[in-house]
Amino acid sequence: MAEGPVPNNHSMTISDRELLEEALGGVEDAFTALYRRRQGGVYRFALQMTGSVAIAEDVTQETFLVLLMHGGRYDESRGTLAAFLIGIARNLVMRRLDRNSRIELEITEECAGSEDVLEDLTRRESIEQVRTAVLSLPAVFREAVVLCDLQDASYEEAASALACPVGTVRSRLSRARAMLARKLRGVALV
Amino acid sequence: MNSEHWVLAALRALAEQDRGLEAPPHVETLLLREYRKRRVRSRFRKLALAGLAAAAGLMAVFLAISREQPKPVPPQRQQAQRPEIVALEEPQPEIAAPPAPKPVSKGRVASKAQPREVVTDFFPLLDVAPPFERGELLRVVVPASTMRRVGLPVNPDRLGDRVYADVLVGQEGLARAIRFVSYEQ
Repeated sequence: MAEGPVPNNHSMTISDRELLEEALGGVEDAFTALYRRRQGGVYRFALQMTGSVAIAEDVTQETFLVLLMHGGRYDESRGTLAAFLIGIARNLVMRRLDRNSRIELEITEECAGSEDVLEDLTRRESIEQVRTAVLSLPAVFREAVVLCDLQDASYEEAASALACPVGTVRSRLSRARAMLARKLRGVALV
Repeated sequence: MNSEHWVLAALRALAEQDRGLEAPPHVETLLLREYRKRRVRSRFRKLALAGLAAAAGLMAVFLAISREQPKPVPPQRQQAQRPEIVALEEPQPEIAAPPAPKPVSKGRVASKAQPREVVTDFFPLLDVAPPFERGELLRVVVPASTMRRVGLPVNPDRLGDRVYADVLVGQEGLARAIRFVSYEQ
């Protein structure tokens, strides 16, 4: 979960925890710095989980609003703030996915029917096929792939964000990769 | 390349393509607008609380002036510099509506020992107070029900009794804290 640039007075040396405390205390610069530092990860997580820019924007906004309301509940001993934010975003994404289950189905069908025509696609198109394949995974496997393989989160960070044991993350990731291998048979990454 | 390595390579390519993706600027704008709204609401709440506390303080002073009945100790005005919110002598958190000291006749004052003043901790009246620079301690008389308002136990039969209290008024004129006073012989 890489950090983004923080182009205001709050330097990178200030921890997320300190920024959060200041932000909750009414320091707008601290809130801006924290948002700029962590919004990228939240946005990409939501986008890679849903495949929808509009939902990713909404989820990012709502995640930081929830942080403003309930940020006092954050406990540093239970994980990083980045994982805490992803945990919030994950709940919001799951609610959206429940509401928009039809979108998920459409993506699944599109992916399943397109295996044999991919050989001469460009690299970019192939990558989009990978994205579609990821989106077609069941949510619990998808979130493991998104966090560990697309967001470079450690198993521990992913476990903290997903509120499950590290072993569960490992096994879901392994199964997810096996499913992706089947779905992506024939896709050429030039 | 086995299938797992191939999948990892494919996922790395996707991660690489998405690496620079960020929420568009209007999300930050909307969030900051909401943040400012919440901050204003929070300040308003604090000001309202401070206003209520000030009103309570003023009411207490008003009561003291308008009902000048028990006068064993004349109202005092003391300069307070950096008061500590602790009991002055022995901590006595539970005062069950101590009776106001009875007036004594002038002739007996000389023969009896002065009653010992016992005070409770200070109870803050402001949620968030500005930094304390200087203030005044006002001795007032309030109904015992005031003690209940700050969480002290009071016998229900004695809620109407009148008790002494010290109100700490800050440099800005706000009543910041209150403590209750009783006398022991």
